[in-house]
Amino acid sequence: MIKQGMRTAFMALAVAGGMLAASPAYADGTLTVSSPQDPGSWDPVDTFLVNWSSVATNIFDGLTYRGPDAKLVPGLATSWEVMDEGTRIRFKLREGVTFHNGEPFNADAVKFTFDRLMGEEGKKGPQRSNYAAIDHIEVIDDSTVDMHLTQPDPVLLTKLAGYGAMIVPPKYIAEKGEDYFNAHPVGTGPFKMVSYEPKVGVKLEAYDGFWGEKAKLSNLDYRFISEPSTAVAELQAGRVDLVIPPTIPIGMIPTIEEADNIKVVTTASPTVYALRFNTANGITKDERVRKAMIYGVDRKAIIDAVLGGQAAEIASFQGELSFGFDPDMKPLPYDPNKAKELLKEAGVAPGTNIQIDIRGNNATFNEVSQAVASYLQIIGLNATIKPYETNVMLNDIIPQGKTGEMFQQSWGGWTLDFDNTAYLMYHTGEKWNPYDSDEKLDALLESQRAITDQAKREAILQDIAKYAADRALEMPLYNLNAIFGVSDRVKNFTPVPDSRLRLNEVSVD
Amino acid sequence: MAGFLIKRFLQAVFVIVAVTLVVSFAIRLTGDPALMLAQGAGSITEDDLARIREALGVNKPFFVQYADFFIGIFTLDFGRSFLGGTPVIDLIKSALPATLMLAFASMFVSIVVSIPLGIKAAVSRGKWADQFIRIISLVGLSFPNFWLAIMLVLLFSITFQLLPPSGMDGFASFLMPALTMGIILTATNVRLVRTSMLETMQSQYIMVARAKGLSETTVLYKHALRNCAIPLITYFGLQFGGLLGGIVVVERVFNWPGLGTLAFDAVGGRDYPVLQAVITVLSLLIVGVNLLVDIAYGLIDPRIRTE
Repeated sequence: MIKQGMRTAFMALAVAGGMLAASPAYADGTLTVSSPQDPGSWDPVDTFLVNWSSVATNIFDGLTYRGPDAKLVPGLATSWEVMDEGTRIRFKLREGVTFHNGEPFNADAVKFTFDRLMGEEGKKGPQRSNYAAIDHIEVIDDSTVDMHLTQPDPVLLTKLAGYGAMIVPPKYIAEKGEDYFNAHPVGTGPFKMVSYEPKVGVKLEAYDGFWGEKAKLSNLDYRFISEPSTAVAELQAGRVDLVIPPTIPIGMIPTIEEADNIKVVTTASPTVYALRFNTANGITKDERVRKAMIYGVDRKAIIDAVLGGQAAEIASFQGELSFGFDPDMKPLPYDPNKAKELLKEAGVAPGTNIQIDIRGNNATFNEVSQAVASYLQIIGLNATIKPYETNVMLNDIIPQGKTGEMFQQSWGGWTLDFDNTAYLMYHTGEKWNPYDSDEKLDALLESQRAITDQAKREAILQDIAKYAADRALEMPLYNLNAIFGVSDRVKNFTPVPDSRLRLNEVSVD
Repeated sequence: MAGFLIKRFLQAVFVIVAVTLVVSFAIRLTGDPALMLAQGAGSITEDDLARIREALGVNKPFFVQYADFFIGIFTLDFGRSFLGGTPVIDLIKSALPATLMLAFASMFVSIVVSIPLGIKAAVSRGKWADQFIRIISLVGLSFPNFWLAIMLVLLFSITFQLLPPSGMDGFASFLMPALTMGIILTATNVRLVRTSMLETMQSQYIMVARAKGLSETTVLYKHALRNCAIPLITYFGLQFGGLLGGIVVVERVFNWPGLGTLAFDAVGGRDYPVLQAVITVLSLLIVGVNLLVDIAYGLIDPRIRTE
């Protein structure tokens, strides 16, 4: 019997060995990328994950394009004109562009894309809500479309550069069906998909017919590796050339820096971290207490000591890339004496207990919150840290207002516009704002949404940031860098802030 | 035999209903998948969430959802993943062989190593070989498998660059994960084989075999090993179930595209259909292996067959 068991096991091994053959050798011009998550579908309508974008930015184009410099430039539209007080945008379309299957790109493809996003197919997915301002597309001629809006959306042109607004091929989807398209996407981008193996990886190859700068790589392989130590081991072993965020934690940076032939490349990202206050209950109801706590924590020291300098101090809940960022606005200084004074003034007895709720899965933030707790101890507050499983925290603890005095919020919208953050964090009744209600703030937030004059909008967004800081609605902590692990064989790599990583300019030795 | 099988089949159905019911119910207490899907998308309204919930089918009452799932089991239709809409059965089809191959490879490593070592320890009871094997197995038992996995990667992938640190591509990629699982199993199994052998060696038929003048090898492998196989097979069978549970950690460290990875991602993403399917498949496997163990008894020991 045992003999038989052995034989079975032997056979299983033999079959395994035979089926999987030898590891592939690296052909010239193949870049292997480790990405932390398989989005499950490549259809732009279905997506909600940044790691959809890190692959799909190479497959699809939008009407507009935004590269690593965060500037909006023409994509599949060569120019556009905002008309009718911002309720109509006329796009001139690029001519002679073809999809990977040979199908021509034209006004019909644009109309199909947005009809689909706003119609039955889009209804099932999360992307539609970002484009709610779009009413319909009117085809003017083969290379001109008018996008009619129900109301002006000042961020729309940016949103057209990514995610749900990627232009998809009408004939291909009609012929092959929606299910097929999920796993076999076709776009107009510099790379086309060759194969997709769920949970394992996806292989792309250069598209010769690309309208822009053609890819220097012949092949682009993505492997889905979620465990940071595994991804870094693959990088060290030379089997992966590029590890993209969010994978590498701060703590692993020294490991990469010490190793030969690989390095760490970082850039500012939209991701900001704050400990927000429960402004409805407990001692943090008092603005003086909230300010005292901000004065009491040396955020600069935390950035240097815990984050290895891979972050920037922030004065509001946004980083420098954000539209609405005010370089003149400075964070409150570290001043423990002032903090103690304010606490005394507010009648908070030394030794008062408070609770900080954090997401338990983030080792780096765990350390940060411990440092915060130690600083609070110095000004006389006993902080207990309570870790939650991320989804429980996001779906229950915060929206239902069950947090302690402070709770972790990390945020980073790819549109790089403070509206996306501020509205959701500060407007009355929003999911991420379970405690506060401020009429003045609500009015400010609503007013900027209807304005197309960008300078005016920027001024209002800056006012919102100042107002929120004056009321001390959160303890702004830092703006974390996007961290890439890169092999030395990778040339001409430019890190991007938002995971929308297009690799047509990259080459390998 | 027929009665026995029917009884076991009903037991299996009961186990699967109980397990999936608990898991399906519990996962639904931990968060809204619609919010999970939408939270990366920026501004979302309650209408958007309601729309997504309807598309996912999570707006229906729990028992309706559960009934849909349960009926689906019989036609192998586990629905679609919430994340991307891939039919769940397709995910299972590619993950199940990966997990089974790894499990068999681990069992293989463990059996091949533990039986000779266990016998050696039993035969040289109290001598240095026995002590040495027992100490080694104690050390093996004390390793947490994730730590062992990371150490193996450090040694074989990074320092010597001999083996791939992760993924499933080719024979070489099996070595470290199978060794990680195998070493920990071996540690327990060596002790089990030793004890079982010691007991058997003291029985009268071994004395008879020796008295007949049979060679020590024949005595050991033909008479003793066969007789101590019953407890071993029971234990290996049960171990296989435990192995499937423990594989989640090892699969994650080695980025193995199996059921463990699938389950881990499904829990994190509140992907109910995938989680329910993985749990169903795992329960079926465990129930199935236990059944095989029972049948195997009969084959090994005719006394059990006649009862």
